Amino acid sequence: MEEIIQLLVSGLAYGSIYALVALGFVLIYNAVGVVNFAQGEFVMVPSYIAVVFLNFWGLPFILAYLGTILVACLFGLLFQQVAYYPLRHRTYLPVIISTIGASIFLQNAALVVFGAEPKKPESIFRPGDTFEISGIFIVPQYVLILVVTLLLVAFQYYLFERTKLGKQLQATAQDKTTAQLMGIQVNHMIIFTFMYSAVLGAVAGILVSPLLLVSKTMGGGLALKAFSATIIGGFGSVPGAILGGLFLGIAEKMAARYISSAYEQAFAFIILIVVLLIKPEGLFGEKISEKA
Amino acid sequence: MLKLEGIAANYGKVQALRSVSLEVETGQIVTIIGANGAGKTTTFKTISGLVRPVAGRLEFEGHNLANLAPEKIVELGIIHVPEGRRLFPGLSVLDNLLLGATSRHKKNQKWRAEAAEDLEKVYKIFPALKLLAKRLSWTLSGGEQQMCAIGRGLMARPRLLMLDEPSLGLAPVLVQEVFRTIVEINRQGMTVLLNEQNARQALAIASRGYVLETGTMVLSGEARGLLNNEQIKRAYLGSAMKIKDPDLAEVVENSTRKIPTPGE
Repeated sequence: MEEIIQLLVSGLAYGSIYALVALGFVLIYNAVGVVNFAQGEFVMVPSYIAVVFLNFWGLPFILAYLGTILVACLFGLLFQQVAYYPLRHRTYLPVIISTIGASIFLQNAALVVFGAEPKKPESIFRPGDTFEISGIFIVPQYVLILVVTLLLVAFQYYLFERTKLGKQLQATAQDKTTAQLMGIQVNHMIIFTFMYSAVLGAVAGILVSPLLLVSKTMGGGLALKAFSATIIGGFGSVPGAILGGLFLGIAEKMAARYISSAYEQAFAFIILIVVLLIKPEGLFGEKISEKA
Repeated sequence: MLKLEGIAANYGKVQALRSVSLEVETGQIVTIIGANGAGKTTTFKTISGLVRPVAGRLEFEGHNLANLAPEKIVELGIIHVPEGRRLFPGLSVLDNLLLGATSRHKKNQKWRAEAAEDLEKVYKIFPALKLLAKRLSWTLSGGEQQMCAIGRGLMARPRLLMLDEPSLGLAPVLVQEVFRTIVEINRQGMTVLLNEQNARQALAIASRGYVLETGTMVLSGEARGLLNNEQIKRAYLGSAMKIKDPDLAEVVENSTRKIPTPGE
């Protein structure tokens, strides 16, 4: 029993990271109709920024993290301007290729600037730290991940469902042309989406880098898992991305413990294939059919 | 109020509009009639800024619209209610209506109070929408969606309301309802530019009509005059065909009579 709870906590923690990255995928996909293949770099770049602030500059945690999020906003803006905006009137293909190009560029830029050796960021908790509640050992970093993710998802729900900006973002995602006819500044909405997606990546990066270390390839693996999570949850669906991410995290940990730990990294894709075969629209996808 | 002169527009290499000229005066209902593909929707898109004209002049109350972004054109008071309703499917009816007031947010601190006021006005015109307010808009029937789309347009307090094929795909009873509503909105002082394939009814409520064929305005004039124009009768009103079924003939008769023209 204790073991299952411990697995659930670590599964939910990793699942939260997948969910954050998956949300970034889905929001950009909904806004511009293109899968951003550089989503992993939305995690990697801010993670390095956090390393600079924490390890090189020695800033206190709160300042370093806020600074990282600020830089992530600017990074999202820059990415939108360089990789998406010039191609906005083209079909999806040039944009996809452009995001792949950006991904390769950013990974190699990280290699040039920071070297090949993974960096270990200063972290609030030490890696060995655990605490015990009635026989269950819990890693505090996991708790931090869960709490922050919960807060961020709550914030996002409020933003999208309760504010004017959120409604305009939803309208833009659902029908760009008509959004323009309402006087919504669609370009601003798209810029905001990229910035917010980068913030999601930054938060994921800050939370996960004490566990994974910061390297040029850290984003790629996460992004692949997160992408699987979006498909498992129902592609394009916001709740689907969150639930898909959490489901994937838990399933992965459970399978690693009870089936084979050697194949831990493969289970995500096995689950993906099974879901695609049995329920291709995803486990939690919402369906909006359109009427004439 | 609105003036188009020799407007031409392309989709890529395909020329959609060759030469479109028209004029709308304050308080009028003006209708553009024409077959599918004649360029009615493109004309609307050019006015609302979704398509850029490659030639011609496009003016609204002294403002040149030709190079303005769609949201700027909305701010000037031109609202384009698109063909096929185009509600935001995943948002509620209320959210759809409130989004219609987007253009009023920027310059106006009191928009919330005004939007609430406008919402009541829209509910007065379309009482059904009040009951449907919480429903996601994709669950609405075609007629309800059209009401919501027109209501959403009115939420912007437009000076000029452009309705693109509002009767398309609706049951005959609802078509009547839509036309009656347009007349009512117009009586309250709204200028309306109407795209319609339903030429007879459109001309019956309009004061001016324009006939569009393959991207060119081929005919224009007083709506009443166009209704009696032999050429139009043959091409758009279908009266060249003898209607043999007496029931159907009666329906067609009634459909023109039931609708009061403004000023009657």
